[in-house]
Amino acid sequence: MFGIPDPGVWLAYVLEIACLLFAAWYGIRYWNQDDTKNEHEVQHKNTKK
Amino acid sequence: MSSYTLGLIVLVYVFALAGLSWLGFRHTKNAKDMLTGGGNMNTIVMALSYGATFISASAIVGFGGVAAAFGMGIQWLCLLNIFMGVIIAFILFGKRTRRLGAQLHAHTFPQLLGRHFKYKPIQVLTAAIIVLGMPLYAAVVLKGGAVFVEQIFEIDYNIALFIFTLIIALYVITGGMKGVMYTSAFQAIVMFLCMGFLFFFLYRALGMGFTEANQALTDMQERVPAHLAQIGHQGWTAMPLTGSPQWYTLVTSLILGVGIGCLAQPQLVVRFLTVRSSKQLNQGVFVGSLFLLVTVGAVYHAGALSNLFFMKTTGKIAVEYISDIDKIIPAFINASMPKWFTAIFMLSILSASMSTLSSQVHVMGTSAATDIYADAIKNNEAKNTTYIIRVGIFVSILLSYLVCYVLEEGVIARGTAIFMGLCAASFLPAYVASLYWPRCGKRAAFWSMVTGAGASVFALLFLHQKEAAAVGLCRWLFGRDVLIEAYPWPVVDPIIIALPLATLVLIVLTYLQPKSNALIDKV
Repeated sequence: MFGIPDPGVWLAYVLEIACLLFAAWYGIRYWNQDDTKNEHEVQHKNTKK
Repeated sequence: MSSYTLGLIVLVYVFALAGLSWLGFRHTKNAKDMLTGGGNMNTIVMALSYGATFISASAIVGFGGVAAAFGMGIQWLCLLNIFMGVIIAFILFGKRTRRLGAQLHAHTFPQLLGRHFKYKPIQVLTAAIIVLGMPLYAAVVLKGGAVFVEQIFEIDYNIALFIFTLIIALYVITGGMKGVMYTSAFQAIVMFLCMGFLFFFLYRALGMGFTEANQALTDMQERVPAHLAQIGHQGWTAMPLTGSPQWYTLVTSLILGVGIGCLAQPQLVVRFLTVRSSKQLNQGVFVGSLFLLVTVGAVYHAGALSNLFFMKTTGKIAVEYISDIDKIIPAFINASMPKWFTAIFMLSILSASMSTLSSQVHVMGTSAATDIYADAIKNNEAKNTTYIIRVGIFVSILLSYLVCYVLEEGVIARGTAIFMGLCAASFLPAYVASLYWPRCGKRAAFWSMVTGAGASVFALLFLHQKEAAAVGLCRWLFGRDVLIEAYPWPVVDPIIIALPLATLVLIVLTYLQPKSNALIDKV
């Protein structure tokens, strides 16, 4: 593919593009998702042995 | 290009850095600003700064040279950089890290682990591993930048190294984290534009299109030197022979070592503590991925194709034309690109070096000053913390500068892989547990870190041929270069041994001891 005979090499190129597309989708999908409002729910617990 | 024009370009660049550093200095009022930029950095600045910190001159000069020697198989590293270094790091690690950091008021990576497990020795141990291990990585980055300055300006290496170190020292010490992030975001833009241009101009230099050039490189398979073919080289568009020494080096050291190691890099983790909410991290995923694809992907691709260029112009492949692989990319740029671009490209190398180095010395300095001195020795009672941090940063820079003088040739990519492997083995199991495994307790985390660091050092000194032979301790003690001479152990990277061991210790000790006193419901 594209002058590169070894799938072990061209697959890396294909997956790089796939990652970029996923990143674009993820960024758009969760662009405004915020978690600070849930921060008060996060707490540490001390458990007694 | 005349040295006058070259000097002018560099001067403008240095003034831009000075301006951004001054901006950082103006906005640095307290220790929190100094450590995490106040915790309210902009999305683009955070993502670009993360990318620029990730991609050092080592990635460009060192791994670009590796691509010239090993071929396009190194693109798997680019893939792991994007997938692990941005997608997994931001989505699965970054958000929880940011929340945990905010909750624990942690401003450094050692603080994050120490406060989560409520165990100061973990904080001190993390800081100590950073302070002792990172000078090697910082030194190879420093060397990468200095080698490029030496090649382009044709000045003495020692002078190049000194000037380079001085500039970084000035702007990191004054600007703190804000200065580091503003300058590295600017540097990321320079790198992005340069690598993008390199990718397109490369084909003009070769006089071919994408597929045609790849095919021509494939056709050069018979030009692989005998000594490389013997260790598994099958051409520049093919992976090395599975199980061969070159395959082990490429896959276990360079691809896995760096690809996994990047998840537990303190200088990258601290970026997650600089943003106000997860929104910035969600938005940063694409910016970071695109940045890595263009910068790293382009230079690895160009590195492999440099063989084609050198073959056409000199009748030799890259490693025959230039024996030190760290000098292949600078020489290729010098020979193949327009003169004006050589100067601009030099700025991108300087940017890559400076952005990584500034973050490294910042992390080393804050670890020594905040985590060891102020928190552990002075028990949080130290006064004038920003001054102490600046002293810590100065000492870190000095240490890295001195380490440069004991480095041998061709060490840039390897030095990066060693440090990333050390970080992965030492920190990754405990870091993952702090985010995802409430049951994991302080002793399990602590001994996992000790095991990871210890096993890494042991494997480097007694098992991995390259380092063990260079250090000579194993030969001195046992009369041979490595303890286990049976193949493939001398070429298996320490991360393959140390990371599973550290993970095993973490799991076993967690199940052996009563439930932790550092449980979290959900982070």
